[in-house]
Amino acid sequence: MATLTVTQNFGKGAADIAVYKSLGGYSSLGPRLFDLSQFELIDLVTRSGLRGRGGAGFPTGMKWSFVPRNTPKPVYLVVNADEGEPGTFKDHVLMLEDPHRLIEGMIACGWALGVRTAYIYVRGEFLKAIETLNAALKQAYDAGLLGENIQGSGYSLDIYVHRGAGAYICGEETALINSLEGYKGQPRLKPPFPAVSGAWASPTCVNNVETLMALPWILEHGPAAYQALGTPKSGGTKVFSVSGDVVRPGVYEIPLGTPLLEFLESSEWCQGVVGTLKGVIPGGSSSPVLTAEESAKANMDYESLASLKSMLGSGAVIAFNDTRSAVGMLASLTRFYAHESCGQCTPCREGTGYADRILKAIVRGEGRDGDLDTMLDLAANFSYTTICPLAIADAWPIENFIGKFRSEFDALLASNAGHAESRVTSDFRPGAFW
Amino acid sequence: MSHCHTKVDQPHASEILPKLETPQVLSKVEELVRRYPVPKAALLPVLWVAQETLGWLPQEAIRWAAGKCKVSPVHAYGVSLFYTMYKKEPTGRFFVQICQNVSCHILGAEAIIAHAEKSLGTTSHGGTTEDGLFTLLRVECLGACGNGPVLQVNDDFATDVVDGKLAMPEGVALTPERFDRIVAWCRKRASDLPAEPVRDVLGGLFETHGHPGAVGATNEPQKTGYAPAPPALGVAAAKTEDGKVKLTWRAAPEVSQLHLETRAETGEFSALATISAKEKDWTGELPVGTEVRIVAQSGDRRAKPSNAAKVEA
Repeated sequence: MATLTVTQNFGKGAADIAVYKSLGGYSSLGPRLFDLSQFELIDLVTRSGLRGRGGAGFPTGMKWSFVPRNTPKPVYLVVNADEGEPGTFKDHVLMLEDPHRLIEGMIACGWALGVRTAYIYVRGEFLKAIETLNAALKQAYDAGLLGENIQGSGYSLDIYVHRGAGAYICGEETALINSLEGYKGQPRLKPPFPAVSGAWASPTCVNNVETLMALPWILEHGPAAYQALGTPKSGGTKVFSVSGDVVRPGVYEIPLGTPLLEFLESSEWCQGVVGTLKGVIPGGSSSPVLTAEESAKANMDYESLASLKSMLGSGAVIAFNDTRSAVGMLASLTRFYAHESCGQCTPCREGTGYADRILKAIVRGEGRDGDLDTMLDLAANFSYTTICPLAIADAWPIENFIGKFRSEFDALLASNAGHAESRVTSDFRPGAFW
Repeated sequence: MSHCHTKVDQPHASEILPKLETPQVLSKVEELVRRYPVPKAALLPVLWVAQETLGWLPQEAIRWAAGKCKVSPVHAYGVSLFYTMYKKEPTGRFFVQICQNVSCHILGAEAIIAHAEKSLGTTSHGGTTEDGLFTLLRVECLGACGNGPVLQVNDDFATDVVDGKLAMPEGVALTPERFDRIVAWCRKRASDLPAEPVRDVLGGLFETHGHPGAVGATNEPQKTGYAPAPPALGVAAAKTEDGKVKLTWRAAPEVSQLHLETRAETGEFSALATISAKEKDWTGELPVGTEVRIVAQSGDRRAKPSNAAKVEA
């Protein structure tokens, strides 16, 4: 049984503070945390090798070190629980099962950065998780673990839950800050980065739920023990949410560096693939898809997947077998990105909609020769021309699904009797989305 | 949900304001505004409260929320259109959202949606049944892909009915039969309960002291210094070739001054030198066996001393 650093309290009713404390919870709120200075704590997190678990995989200690100290402005901590990437559902389960671990991690992060007020931005659909969190926060306040002067340390922290209202883009950190401030969730230009000027023009640290929940374990067992669980460059364990054609989909915590197929086949975790594996999306919908051959080479860590030109992302593994249509999957993804584009940058707003309309036509059996090239051309043109990475997150699936499963697309195009005719582009022109 | 107001009869302000200006609603709004450094930030939760009270968001309710958050009505209106969970038109009593995104798609969401459209007799693009019980909507990822395909009835995930309640047991995905069970559960509930009980859309809001009232944007001073000053770490002493002792260390960027302290075989530490934190090392004469440590200072706060290093022969 692998060591668990985040999910060890699953199924034990740890949402109640008494149970959580009996399992060793909140034990870091004493000398273990408050004897450390900011610098020592940030150094400790850096040495643990902990990287952001929300998708980008940025080293957490380094992110914290960017937040200025001794500033006249308040420092805010915002927890990103706006989990919306298709295939990802780990944070939802984490918050339902172990909300107090998140609170304990937030106190540690708050101590490291000198935070007085923190917000948890929870996706609007997760009302049950919001109820769980609010109940846990109430218990923590009543027990003197939040509010003024936590455990006699002189440190004060308030945590509030903020409910989102249904926008995938709010998972992007600057869009999340805009949404928190009462604006449309449209990303901001960077720089300035949130660490310097984020919420209310003050230094803001935005961290994923899982990142913060790893902190209590690191404080208890030390950074070296955490680092040793993973690979030299990807320390620790990671929570994966598995969906699609596997026998037992769900949320599993595994050491980083575990081979992908071993993870899918293991009796401890997913218990095998249903049917013959055709491909795997290894890190959420925007990560480039892996074919079955590539999956055999992949290890679940940041470097191995990067070497296969994919990414670990949020850790959402979507496995699919050879009865699933790659065209249908890509159509589902492009529709998603066209729907979720915030409308701020023209290349993304128009380009994602354009790609979506072409692909819908292909799925209806009205594809024409040249449609695939048009889509690839579009993808190349809306990548890296926008403020945030949403357009790139659409371009990668387009390029990889067409690149790796092109024969399926070609077969569908060929089934259209009029495939050689040129397309009436006025029906598909940019702007037709509205 | 559409991104603009469709042809919906908008109620007059006199119809909805009495429902919104009640002590219960106002105390919630007061708590929400208190939680943020500026009232504008409370706009999303205040819109939620308005939607909870009225069941949907008429234009006059958006205007009311704008007033509470001290923003212009058009700002609040724009925000309400941006977020898909604000209902710009009334829905049926059971708002059924079926996920159609990739994980659910490959496991047969389209078949479920087709079945739902047929059995309820309405479209999956926001259509409401004639009896006003169900509104059906196909949506993008709901965030429960492990149970895919899934749906939400109002704010609850469901793939089945267990013990007379909507439930999403582990490993149980939606099938047409389970969908029918969920619909039957809703119909039974509609005949048992005259109206759906109001659910707290903010998940158990409780009274807090609120934000300490200081923020960069409002130019008010804020309490700082909750955490201690950063120390210097990893002090090491090494003999140089000419017989002197060289000290090296690491210090956080915000450290402004470093105080070097020494201790002979016994006794207290005493000050040796005070240097600027820009210096990366210090070289000088020190007898063998002396212990050296460094105290970092940032602003007027002194950190706790570093570990002590001993000068070896």
